[in-house]
Amino acid sequence: MFFHITLERNMQLHPRHFGRNLRENLIAKLMKDVEGTCSGRHGFVVAITGIENVGKGLIRDGTGFVTFPVKYRCVVFRPFKGQILEAVVTMVNKMGFFAEAGPVQIFVSNHLIPDDMEFQSGDMPNYTTSDGSVKIQKDSEVRLKLIGTRVDATEIFCIGTIKDDFLGVINDPTTA
Amino acid sequence: MSLEPFNRLVKLAARAFYDDITTKGDNQPKTGRSDNRGISVVVLDALTRRQWVREEDLAKDLKLHNKQLRRMLRFFEEEKLITRDHRKETAKGAKIFSAAVAATNDFHHTGKEGEEKVKLHTHSYCCLDYAQIYDVVRYRLHRMRKKLKDELENKNTIQEYICPNCSRRYTALDAIRLVTPDDDYFHCENCNGELVAESDKLAAQEAGDGDDNARRRRREKLKSMLQKMEEQLKPLADQLTRVKDLPVPEFGNLQAWEARAHAHARGGLGDGSSNDPSKSSQGYGGTPMPFLGDTKVEVAFGKEEDLKSETASTSLKVLPPWMIKQGMNLSKEQRGEVKEEVKMDGTSTSSTVSDDKKSSVNTDDKRSIQDEYVKAYYAALLKKQQELEEASKKQQELLISNTSNMDSGTSSARQVGMKFKREEDEGDEDVEWEESNVTSNTNENYKVNDLNVQAEPSGGDEDEDDIDWEEG
Repeated sequence: MFFHITLERNMQLHPRHFGRNLRENLIAKLMKDVEGTCSGRHGFVVAITGIENVGKGLIRDGTGFVTFPVKYRCVVFRPFKGQILEAVVTMVNKMGFFAEAGPVQIFVSNHLIPDDMEFQSGDMPNYTTSDGSVKIQKDSEVRLKLIGTRVDATEIFCIGTIKDDFLGVINDPTTA
Repeated sequence: MSLEPFNRLVKLAARAFYDDITTKGDNQPKTGRSDNRGISVVVLDALTRRQWVREEDLAKDLKLHNKQLRRMLRFFEEEKLITRDHRKETAKGAKIFSAAVAATNDFHHTGKEGEEKVKLHTHSYCCLDYAQIYDVVRYRLHRMRKKLKDELENKNTIQEYICPNCSRRYTALDAIRLVTPDDDYFHCENCNGELVAESDKLAAQEAGDGDDNARRRRREKLKSMLQKMEEQLKPLADQLTRVKDLPVPEFGNLQAWEARAHAHARGGLGDGSSNDPSKSSQGYGGTPMPFLGDTKVEVAFGKEEDLKSETASTSLKVLPPWMIKQGMNLSKEQRGEVKEEVKMDGTSTSSTVSDDKKSSVNTDDKRSIQDEYVKAYYAALLKKQQELEEASKKQQELLISNTSNMDSGTSSARQVGMKFKREEDEGDEDVEWEESNVTSNTNENYKVNDLNVQAEPSGGDEDEDDIDWEEG
């Protein structure tokens, strides 16, 4: 799920950036530092949408770096158990397949793939139904349901299932 | 449109899902006295016999405290079983409702006129929402079934992997770290051995036999649970299918309902008798009746029993305890219980039912019944006293005559004395008979209103139960 939230961060800025562009430099550095990172608590920071306020800087002893407390608004993406996601398959193997939904990696193990789909090894490993009408391979788009999330301090990994109603391949690259 | 199948649905659902709901918080100790489980069933049953009803009236009818009932109703509202309406009313506004009630049901609320002179108060009304109940119950069953089935099929469980070399375990959540680019398998972080999925029993055997047994036991348990659920909720599921194609009774919101009730009353003023709920017990023929006759209850329970016997005849199943609580005449096998327990169940049910009944009977009616009982009782007492007096008088006379006859010593006097004695005995007996007649009479009176009671509640039990309910 996506959230638009306010976060706070202490930015350390090198003295060489001090000048009339201090604020721009600070924001550029913030974006570079924060966007694309993942915190277990809030999820992936997708984009910073605005700065709420920049506090008073504090000069660190010895280094000359200055710490600014910055409050900023950003869009975060946090996967939840039970959530339905659309993802792109990145790798297929005997144990199941891996897929990505934006920054999130999802693993679908083979017993969470419908029973009528079988693994076909070869040049392009894939899962195919017996009549060959549905095929899951690299770059297929699948709709899946998250059944478990593993949230570490700096990464989130999910496992999903396509063994439920309305889940499975939604767009096949070979037919498109 | 017919209410009866839907009411039955509500009753079954109430017994299936809301039987052990208490309105108390979990932190409070549940003592025997304050244990009010089952009250939700009573409330729902009462609501099946009404349409829109003011909550205070309902509380009064059920002899429940206002707050307690409101807590219950709020719970039902959250469960989407009922719709509620709150509005600020003057005495006049309150009258609109009373008038609507009175219009369709002449005798019922006649005594209330004086009470409606309340100032501006917020009144709450509630009504069963049959359409929603149907959906809610179906959804609930679906969820229960799905949850068990998912568990059973390992659908949403997280796959585990075991390294056959070092028997280290991994879950699917570790998958990203285990995958290697060169082949299809997961590799152990320790020994780089190929991992196997835990459900592959042959490979997993050396890792944990006990675990496997546990899994199998769990599966068995789940399976039996699913089976039991299907079995026990069969009446409910049957009722759902029966109701499926029927039009859902719709009362509309409070205002609409009142307006309709008024319109009906104006239209049907000529035949006031048709408004009598006792006469139109069957016909809910499109005309809104705020109070449906008590007779309905009997039909519902009777049918339930029929259905029971149907199912029982096909296969004599042991009935789930929540079904038995309704006080039905079942064979011992069906109950699958000890008889004593059954008896207890019987009394509790009758109390429930009688409570229901009581709530539905007008307070005036109740008073009159009580008055009658008291009158009859006093009459009996009086009679007994008189007869005792008479008897003692006769005895005295007898004594006198005996003493007077002593001289003559004729046997005839003694015979007379014997006779007198016998009469005296008979007199006593008479009195006793009278008494028991009185009680049985009241019981019969009682039964007229309460067609539904199968286990005859004795007067004493009744009172006790009443007290219980009031405090519960």
